[in-house]
Amino acid sequence: MEEKFSNYNFYSSFRENKISLAFQGMISQDLLSLIGLSLRRKNDNEMIARRLFGLVIELAQNIYHYSTEKAYSEKDKKEVGVGIIAIGETNEHYIVCSGNRMDSKKIKLISERCDYINQLDEEGLKMYYKDQRRNPSVEDSKGAGLGLIDMVRKSGNPLTYIINDSDKPNAFLTLAVKINKTLATT
Amino acid sequence: MMMEDFYNPPDHFIPEIRFKADTCELNISGESFHEYSVEFYQPVFDWLHKFLEIPNKTITMNFKMTYFNTNTSRRFLEIFDLLEDYEKNKGGRVTINWYYKAHDVDMKESGEEYMADTNLTINLIPYVN
Repeated sequence: MEEKFSNYNFYSSFRENKISLAFQGMISQDLLSLIGLSLRRKNDNEMIARRLFGLVIELAQNIYHYSTEKAYSEKDKKEVGVGIIAIGETNEHYIVCSGNRMDSKKIKLISERCDYINQLDEEGLKMYYKDQRRNPSVEDSKGAGLGLIDMVRKSGNPLTYIINDSDKPNAFLTLAVKINKTLATT
Repeated sequence: MMMEDFYNPPDHFIPEIRFKADTCELNISGESFHEYSVEFYQPVFDWLHKFLEIPNKTITMNFKMTYFNTNTSRRFLEIFDLLEDYEKNKGGRVTINWYYKAHDVDMKESGEEYMADTNLTINLIPYVN
């Protein structure tokens, strides 16, 4: 980074996309706790804040276990994943998204899983969650699959993903999910 | 020799866990989103395995969680499986009290899903702060 680097481009891009929170770097538990606190402070609706927090946690999980970009954490005494977490909004929704480099084969698995989960209805999601909780897939020893199902269940919206640098062994995966700002009255 | 109690103090991302060997009262409360849930819960399982070696106990386990991630939900299921096995094969009696903040529909639903997924007696109990 140059000494004269300006944050103006970040600022403009954040403003344009109504990004209220963005972090790039080592995803630690302390950071996640802080994000949780700030979400609760901002939202008068505790339920929405909690669900939003849940989405951040499950996306973060993906980064610290699967990001191929690592940094050494002095506190944890081990390498942890590096990535981006951001929360943006539209008039009706919050949008939570993660971004990180991952093994391209792993990205393929995750995107296929997203496609599968996205076409399930509420009951189907419930059954798949139950099944995966008891019998995790072999490639899912760290539980990423369960997190994906949970995100769709809690948000009520499908997962979207964008893959960049897909021709490289370590492509870049953006995962996003939106959630209504108000609770649906049932 | 009496078995020692188990205690884990709470932090932002780990729950308070207080297991009392003499009264067979197991309490877990707060938040749980440790990134390495298997490692974090290992001492809990070590204690439970030892605790459940002696048959015929009447056990009450109280869950009062405000948030837990999907990895933790697997660990809870494993705890339920252990307790269910204890009832089935070691003459134990187990009651689970699943506390949820009134209006927290997600926490209530989590309790209902454990009810559907195990044969244990699970009481859903709402509370106001």
